[in-house]
Amino acid sequence: MLAKYVARRFLASVVVVLGVTLITLVLMDRTRGTYVPGIDLNPSLRPEDIARLRADLGLDRPFYLWYITWIWGVLHGDFGRSMIDGSTVMSHILDRLPNTLELTATAIVIGLIVAVPLGVVGALRRGSKVDHTMTVVSVAGFAVPQFWMGLILILVFSVTLEQHGLPWLPSSGAFSAVNGGDVLDRIQHLILPATVLSFFYTSTWSRFIRSSMLEVLSQDYIRTARAKGMSERRVVYLHGLRNALIPLITLIGLELPGLVSGGLVVEVVFGWPGIGKLAFERALQYDYTTVMGVTFFATLLVVAGNLIADVLYGILDPRIRLA
Amino acid sequence: MIGQSRVAELELPGAAVEGASTRPAQSYWNESWERLRANRIGMAAGVLIVVLALIAIAAPLFSLAVTHFQPQTIDLGATFAKPGSAHLLGTDELGRDTVTRLIYGGRVTLGVAFLTVAVSLTVGAGVGMLAGYYGGWLDDILMRLVDTVLAIPAIFLFILMSILFRPTPISLALIIASVGWGNVARLVRGEVLSVKQRDFILATRSIGARDVRMMVRHLLPNVLPVLIVAASLGVGQIILIEAALDFLGLGIQPPTASWGNMLTNAESYFFHSFWLVIFPGVTIFITVLASNIFGNAIRDAFDPRLK
Amino acid sequence: MTQALLEVQDLHTVFATKEGTVKAVDGVSFELSPGETLGIVGESGCGKSVTALSIMRLQRPGKIVGGKVMFKGQDLTKVTEDEMRDIRGREMAMIFQDPMTSLNPVFRTGWQVAEPLRLHHGWDSKKALTSAVQMLGRVGIPSAAERARDYPHQFSGGMRQRVMIAMGLTTTPAVLIADEPTTALDVTIQAQILDLLRHVNREFGTATILITHNLGVVAGMCKRVIVMYAGRVVEAGPTMDVFAHPKHPYTWSLLRSIPRLDAERHEPLKPIEGLPPSLVDLPSGCAFHPRCAFKVERCSRDVPALEPVGDTQLSACWVTQAGTELKGA
Repeated sequence: MLAKYVARRFLASVVVVLGVTLITLVLMDRTRGTYVPGIDLNPSLRPEDIARLRADLGLDRPFYLWYITWIWGVLHGDFGRSMIDGSTVMSHILDRLPNTLELTATAIVIGLIVAVPLGVVGALRRGSKVDHTMTVVSVAGFAVPQFWMGLILILVFSVTLEQHGLPWLPSSGAFSAVNGGDVLDRIQHLILPATVLSFFYTSTWSRFIRSSMLEVLSQDYIRTARAKGMSERRVVYLHGLRNALIPLITLIGLELPGLVSGGLVVEVVFGWPGIGKLAFERALQYDYTTVMGVTFFATLLVVAGNLIADVLYGILDPRIRLA
Repeated sequence: MIGQSRVAELELPGAAVEGASTRPAQSYWNESWERLRANRIGMAAGVLIVVLALIAIAAPLFSLAVTHFQPQTIDLGATFAKPGSAHLLGTDELGRDTVTRLIYGGRVTLGVAFLTVAVSLTVGAGVGMLAGYYGGWLDDILMRLVDTVLAIPAIFLFILMSILFRPTPISLALIIASVGWGNVARLVRGEVLSVKQRDFILATRSIGARDVRMMVRHLLPNVLPVLIVAASLGVGQIILIEAALDFLGLGIQPPTASWGNMLTNAESYFFHSFWLVIFPGVTIFITVLASNIFGNAIRDAFDPRLK
Repeated sequence: MTQALLEVQDLHTVFATKEGTVKAVDGVSFELSPGETLGIVGESGCGKSVTALSIMRLQRPGKIVGGKVMFKGQDLTKVTEDEMRDIRGREMAMIFQDPMTSLNPVFRTGWQVAEPLRLHHGWDSKKALTSAVQMLGRVGIPSAAERARDYPHQFSGGMRQRVMIAMGLTTTPAVLIADEPTTALDVTIQAQILDLLRHVNREFGTATILITHNLGVVAGMCKRVIVMYAGRVVEAGPTMDVFAHPKHPYTWSLLRSIPRLDAERHEPLKPIEGLPPSLVDLPSGCAFHPRCAFKVERCSRDVPALEPVGDTQLSACWVTQAGTELKGA
């Protein structure tokens, strides 16, 4: 039955991806007619140049033909070419993708490591001072702008520490250009951005775990477990937590788009060379095709991540696995 | 849920079993309002938002009467002034007064936020109700559409759109709303599905009520609490998104002030005028915090079980 | 007369609520002999479940505020939590009403049934599982070895309840408490489960407390019965005697309100008038007096004690204790 479930989820993913292609192409269609993105940047573009640009981009072909060509290209890993320098979008993506994955994965891991214990404690000590404090901190955590938090952390941990001659954390890049690149160096560079990216999600997830735990602990099977005479620890962590964590997987899947979005902002603030920063840089140059290619790719990442989350959920919940 | 009908005077027998006194049941809305009022922190947050909105609306008044500065007035002789008597919160690199810019920035940011919420809610509620009410293939199509829209990482999409469309406050609101309606649609559809099962819908149907009437007069009031909560929480989230876009330089463009774009060049201010980094950020934080607290308070008021 | 295995003496359990203190268990006393089947009968909210939970010290968030629960020479209300955990699941087992929600959905049934053996006897998983599979077979689950690998949702309601029973019996406890074990099941399955409980009682010699609001279930299964109302025991005695000649107006009214094969064809059912009382705000004197057809003046003043009435029964009623027979229109 797991196979059926996975197949269904995969099909749904494919539908979503197709839908996304349509949306992106509708947006691209905006550029039909005589409009070329970035035209205001360069008023000296002659009509011949414009025509050539548009021909290069295939903007003068009928829509359906263009759509099909584009899909065909994507299926072969061709996500288009930059309007600025003609380089392939894919090459840029491949270049930067590992960095983004590194950052995002670290953020998720940090988020989980912090959120799960906090959530469990909050549930077990419901109504206590610790719980209230944690709720307050969570609520505050939702309200902090990620980019601002990044700025402040840079201010404190990079600039101020350096000014006072204390060991400081680097404020940009994934590794030092000069004799850097080893694991420790990369970790140093990773700390601040990963913390900022995970902060928001730690808040959300810990509250979620808390309410999930509370719900699980009020279930009948917990009462049964206690009636069997096991220690409270075993009741909570073996019988309880195992059930409470399952919905978290779905939540993470749902939050992936936000995570990738947040990643962009964090990458920009910290100069982290990932695909988010790529999109941003190119956007400033009005390199529409690159931005679109990256956007589409980022969406694929999100959809893939969601699919993984769904499959994981199916594996972990026997009610799905053996329906 | 009894909805808005006046069943306040009904004495419900059997309530005695639980030990509750046989008070007359209040209408759902009254009870919720009572619960909200009892939540002092929540009410304070709500008041704060209203105050901020009022200040934003009355921005010209403020700049005239209180701060005596205009948001765009450049004063190259007073760049990077420290917070003090002349400029309450200092000035930026062009000598523009921070307080005034914050107030006018609030106008922009709050304006975009409220407009976005309004559009998102309207479109989202409409789609959600149609999907939930009619079910079947319409539901499938609409929900696939929602899935699609929500799958795209928002900021990427917004960056894309800001290249295509000139980012004015209104276009920005529409851009952000173009994704925001998705979550609302899902929420509303969920509510509609659960309400649809209830007996009073079947009863109303059986007396031949038309679809539109069903949706507006019967489903909508039950869906309203969810919408109100979504609106309140949504304002906060949208402010954060909008600020991020402005910060990136892809939203509201200077010289128009917005809380986000006041931070665009923050990295260059760090060393000497770090307060320029602090104030706009704190303002955003407080506003979003208030919106979140109020949103949570409303949610608790409507459905205390969820605590 | 054999020594009582379990003796509940004047137990009081309360819950703190917004409306006040709920006296869920208000002075309950009864005995259970080894191998005996005892039924606890009463309406929803009368305190029968809380009594059972209190015996197992699972009554949280309620608090036991008075009385004793004597089990094998120990007062269970006073032992430490560790000692209590040792008793739970090993010497006293409890099964609950809804088998779907009472079994953990993410663990295999065999594993769950074997758990008490691993916990209390310290057996390794293999040995425990083998024993569990045997027990599953004995409670009537076909292909037990394969089924043990299945998850709870893969079983039907009746089968799940059998699993629960197997789980309770793996350690051959002295006492099995069954809280409404058949209420969530179809009528035909109910009969099967009751059969099983009877069978188990005979074969394992496990003393069984059966909690239910269904008089028919009690009649089929329990040698003795106690009737509870508003947190108090109002009548106790051998089931046959209590049903044949009830000595408390509540029991009497209950019996008249259920359809019987031997009743006159056109006799209407007589529901009990009024509503059960609020446990926060009990009536003065006898809790049942506002709804009682036999009440006298004393009933509203003094709480009746549980005293022998007739040869074999106990009743907490001033009227019957004074010798009045319960007959009525």
